[in-house]
Formats: sequence, C-alpha cells, structure tokens
Amino acid sequence: MPIQYYIAFAATLFCIGVVGVLTRRNAIIVFMCIELMLNAVNLLLVAFSKMHHAAALAGGGKNVTTGVEGQLFVFFIMVVAAAEVSVGLAIIVMMYRNVHSVDVNFLNRLKN
Amino acid sequence: MTEQQLMALLPFMVLAAASIVIILLIAFRQGHTVIQVTGFLLMCLVIFAMWYVRGVLPQTIAPLLIVDGFGALFTGLIVFCVLVVGLFSYIYFEEREENPREYYILIFLSTLGAAILTISRHFMSFFIGLELLSISLYALIAYLRTRNNAIEAGIKYLVLAALTSAFLLFGMALIYMETGSMDFAVIAQRLNAAGKSSALFLTGFGVMMVAVGFKLALVPFHLWAADVYQGAPSPVASFIATVSKVGVFAVFLRFCQELHLQNNSAVMMLISAVAILSMISGNILALRQQNLKRLLAYSSIAHFGYLLVAFLPGNNTGVEAAVFYLTAYAITILAAFGIIILLSPGEKDADSLSMYRGLFWDKPFMAIVLTVALLSLAGIPLTAGFIGKFYVLTAGVEQRAWLPVIVLVITSVIGLYYYLRIISTIFADSPVTIQKERSLNQFFYTASYAALVVLTLLLFGIGVMPAVIIQGIKQFLVIDR
Amino acid sequence: MGTAQILFWSLTALALISAIMVLVSKNPVYSVLWLIVVFFAISGHYILLNAQFLAIVNLIVYAGAIMVLFLFVIMLMNLNTETEPQKSIWMKFFGVVAGGLLLSFFISFVISSADLKGKSAQLKEGEIGLIKTLGKALFNDYVIPFEIASILFLSAMVGAVVIGKKD
Repeated sequence: MPIQYYIAFAATLFCIGVVGVLTRRNAIIVFMCIELMLNAVNLLLVAFSKMHHAAALAGGGKNVTTGVEGQLFVFFIMVVAAAEVSVGLAIIVMMYRNVHSVDVNFLNRLKN
Repeated sequence: MTEQQLMALLPFMVLAAASIVIILLIAFRQGHTVIQVTGFLLMCLVIFAMWYVRGVLPQTIAPLLIVDGFGALFTGLIVFCVLVVGLFSYIYFEEREENPREYYILIFLSTLGAAILTISRHFMSFFIGLELLSISLYALIAYLRTRNNAIEAGIKYLVLAALTSAFLLFGMALIYMETGSMDFAVIAQRLNAAGKSSALFLTGFGVMMVAVGFKLALVPFHLWAADVYQGAPSPVASFIATVSKVGVFAVFLRFCQELHLQNNSAVMMLISAVAILSMISGNILALRQQNLKRLLAYSSIAHFGYLLVAFLPGNNTGVEAAVFYLTAYAITILAAFGIIILLSPGEKDADSLSMYRGLFWDKPFMAIVLTVALLSLAGIPLTAGFIGKFYVLTAGVEQRAWLPVIVLVITSVIGLYYYLRIISTIFADSPVTIQKERSLNQFFYTASYAALVVLTLLLFGIGVMPAVIIQGIKQFLVIDR
Repeated sequence: MGTAQILFWSLTALALISAIMVLVSKNPVYSVLWLIVVFFAISGHYILLNAQFLAIVNLIVYAGAIMVLFLFVIMLMNLNTETEPQKSIWMKFFGVVAGGLLLSFFISFVISSADLKGKSAQLKEGEIGLIKTLGKALFNDYVIPFEIASILFLSAMVGAVVIGKKD
C-alpha cells in the first residue's frame, strides 16, 4: 500500500484529535482526543517501520531487522500513554471533587 | 553490556535507587526530617558517584545512551539544583503542616527523567526521559491539591504537556520516515548523504519544536508558564524553572549539535524568530506584573530567549556560553525562589509584590539576597548574570546574528525597568506587611539560610572570577570530542 | 482490487467516521464507545501490516485498560448529555478552521513531496512484527528503556496515589 495513503490517513486522524482538543470543553473528552492523536502517530510509525523493512528486504539480505525500532517505539508510546492516563484521570477526578465540574472553562482563577 | 558501561550508568542507578530508599523509609513510618536528611545524603552520593566514574567516560551504551562530558556537566547542574530545591522544600512543607513524604519520591523520579534526557542520543530515550520528567511533574504541581488552585495549574500543565508530546511524536515519526533511524548520529549521517534537507525533515523538526518550545516555555508556547508557576508549590515552581528546563535544553542542544542544524538556514531562521519573540514578549509581559512568581515566569521566558541566541553559532563557544548562562540562571532563580519560600507565611505563598514593600528594614539579609538575585537576572556587572549575558552576546556577535543580538540588548534594557521596580519596592520606607512567626526546626532554617548565602556568594564569585567556571566547563566538554 | 485493499479502505473509513463521532457525540459515554471502535479499526490496520504483537497490545492496553478507566471515571461522575458543557459556535468554528488548515498543510505536503513517490508499506508479510523478533530486540538492545519504563510506572503509581488519596 503506498505510504502516502498512510500518511494522509494518520494526518487526518491527528487533525481530528487537534480539532477535538480545540472545540470540546469537557476535560475528559479533551484527554481522549489526545489519545486519538497518539494512536495516529502509532499507526504512522508502524507503517514507516514496514516501509523501511520492505526497502531493506528489497536491497537483498536475509534476517534483516531494519524497522524493528519503529515498532518498539510504538510499544513504548503505549506504555507511556497508559501511565499518563492514570495520573491524568486522577487529577481530573480531583478537579471534579473541587469544583463539581469537568469543564475546562472553570479553570480561570489563576491570574494577576 | 560491559562492566564499564554499567559503571558509567552508576550515578543514574543511584538516582533511581534513591526513590526506592525513600519508599522503604515511608513503609517503615519514618518522619519528614529523616526522609529529608536521607534524600540530601543520597543526592550527595549521586555527585560522589559521578566523581567516582569520571575515569571511564565517555561511554556509549548503544543504541540509546551516551555518557560523556556534556551529559555529566548537565547532570551535575541538575543534581545541584535538586539538592537546593530539596533543602528549601523542608521549610515550605513544614510551614504548611503537610506531610510531604511522597513528594521526595516524585522529585527524585522526575530528576532521573531530566538526567536521562541529558545523556540520550536516540528518540526513544528522549521520549521516555521526557515523559518520566513530566508524569512526575503532573503529580508534583497538583501536590497541595486543596490549596492555591494547584489542581488548576496541574490540569493546565497536564493537557498541554500531553498535547505537545503528541506533536513531538508526530515530528519524530516524520524524521524517522525520512531517515529510517531514530539514532541522532545515524540521522545526521543519512541527512548528510542526502545532501539537502528535505521538506519532510523540516516539517518534522518544526513539529518537534512545538514540544521543545512548550517545555522551555518559549513564545508562542509560553501560555502555561505564568499560571503553572503561580499555582504550583514554590519549590516545584523552582524545580520546573531549573531542572526540567535544563534537561530539555540539554537534549535539544545535543540533537542540534549532532545534526549540525546550525548549517541549515531554514532551521536557524525558525530558532532566531522564536528567540526574538521570546525576548520581546517575555520582557513586555513582565513589565506590569504585580505577582513575583508570575514575574519570574515571564522573566524565565525572556531568559530562554537569550539562551537561544547562544545556541545559534553551534560551535564550542556557543555550547560553553549556553552552559555558563544556564549555570548562572539556575543559581539566580534558585536564590530568588528560596527567598519566596522562606518568606511564605502558612497558608498562601508570598508572591504578591505588595508583601515585599519595605522588606529591607525588617529582614535585611533576605532583602539583600533577593536584590542580588534580581540584579543578576537583570545582568548588572559583578554578578553572574552579567558575565552570562556578555558571553552569550559574544557568541552571537561571532556568528554575526545581528538582529537577535540587537533585540537582546534592547530587551535587556527594558528588563532592567521591572527588576529595578521590585528593588525599589524592597527598599521603600513603609511598614512591613509580611507577618510571620517561626516555631520551626531551627536546624533546617539555618541550613536554608546557609544555602542562600552559598548561592549569593556563588553569584558574586562567578561574576568576579568567571575564568574558573569557564575552565571547568571547557575541561568537561573535551571529554567527548 | 484485492482483499487487502478492500480491507484497508473499509478500516480507514471506519476509523475516520468513528473518530468524527467521538467529537460530535454529546454524551461522553458514546464518545468513549466510538473511540474504542477507532482503536479496533487501528488494530485491524496493524494486522494488515502483519504487526501482530502491536495489534494485540493495542487491544489489551488501549481498548481494554485505558478506555475502561475512562468509562469508569465518566460513570463515577455521572456525566451525560445534560451536564455536557458546550463551547460557543464561534469557538467551534475557529477550532475546525485551525484543524482544517493543519490538515490541508499535511495533505498538500504529501501530494507534492517527491521523496514519497514509489515508497510503500509492506502488507501481509515481513517478520518484524512478530513477537519473536520484537522480543529479541527488546531484551537485547532496548533493555534500558524497558527498565526506565518500569520506573515510569512507579512514578505514575505514586502520582496517582498522591493525587487521589483521601486526606
């Protein structure tokens, strides 16, 4: 599958995530949109890893592991996302306990 | 992995072990004092470990890490900052009658993240170090969760940091597509082989700059800085201003050095534009601030703008200037925050400028330390800040980056205005508004005072005899080249 | 058009439609469910690329653990359509315009870039996505980030406990 399709697809998903962050006020949904963006990047990395792998195979040579780092990077991104979500949701729950809302527009008390 | 490589990683392992030791101390129900003293000794142990392994450097731990003089220099700066921040934290939390035991675990883990950034030479360690730093910071910023709008600051930092790390990854993916590697050295090789820098690489770098700009609070990604500095506990704010920024700057500098981005005119245009914008808006936003913590936030935006000017040349002079400037900046900011922490009464932080009116007549020692710190931030001769700024200016002139240099000089003059405004407030003749009684552990109070004295002496020492420090920096930097 | 192409296009369409539904759903619970559909579609893409390990991990970690956490939190707070805050229409408009500009930038760049011509990702074959290959690389070359990831989890655990504990 041509790599342009993958880039266009992942970029579209990424931009949908950006639009979500900009247009929603619910902190949880904003956080979910960020997960969507991370997934777009993951797909992109896997596609690139397969692309480089195919190129290395075409260049001759057996047992090439070119591209393996792309997939491992995706694995680490997933690990980090899980950790980030656990702390992030704890903070959002704490915010809900304080102001009884998850609306990001309530966050306006810090100013000069 | 060979024995020598393990040896080179020893300081980082000690840093990781420090957090485990603290967890064990909490499990055995030790008090704040014990944890604080142990933490301090463990940080000293990290410095000792760095001294102990100096012989085996440089070591490359393929494919992710490289422990060289550059990394050791920045790690040393980071650990020094953490030592001071840890010392000030005791007074701050005792004052609030909190029991901040987990605080020290998070501080050490976050420091480990920053330290990993300084020695990483691969996107993977870059990303994981950055996330270790920021995930611990989310919890640290929101640590005093019922006061001071800390949760608000925490959410702002959380959402923006998560968003920008997604951008960072997108940029990394594009560069990976272009070069087929995540190793800085290999990326440099492939880019050189290709001859010209492609649009793909430039887009990737530009998208990555969003995340780096966010972490260093550069304009236009600076909107979080003032709110987070104000809402976070003061020791955490000083941690963000020093440790987190030093770590991210170190890895960014290493990335650009390896790739020789200084030869790339498009990238240089981008960085000078960001530097100029940061210098101008940081100083202008600080002009009318009535809140000292917010003012320091804006001032640090401007200072990282100055620092980027040192970054432009890309030769060893630039790196030396950057390291020197960062050292001077870290010491100064720590001294300023130290005063805020020591003056903060029980409930609120002493961040309103009106609280400092006439401070000199009540607490002359603190007033003098704060004055020296502000003079150094403004870049007055005889202080470390002046030499730092001078060094940066020299590096910029050498490169003939005239526009950033001119903006640097002009904005420094603007900056002088608001620093002097605070100083005149401190020396104003009026009744003191900070009321504060102490019934604290006298020992730690004295220790914090001693730390402030050391910081002030360092500011003057570096200002008067910069050659000693510069020689030291040069000796470290030759370890890898 | 072979099976792989048909699968590619249908999974892509599914992912994009569900992603848009995440944004336009008024009820947060529906948003979570649509997001799970997106994750399944992306896992389908991984299988198509023969990245079996990541496909499974994606389902277990994202669709399994993370989304359940989101669902728990939303149900704990009893959020629904009525409590859902809405941005003003102008803010929404500007958000969409900004996202659209970013997207058009990326797309125009994909169309114009000469470097991308003739490159393609390998479907259905290639062995690097298998657990055997990834495991060997992970525990030889990349063992240090693996250890650092464990420290990262420690920090997340401490952080979540610190923020969430009762006074």
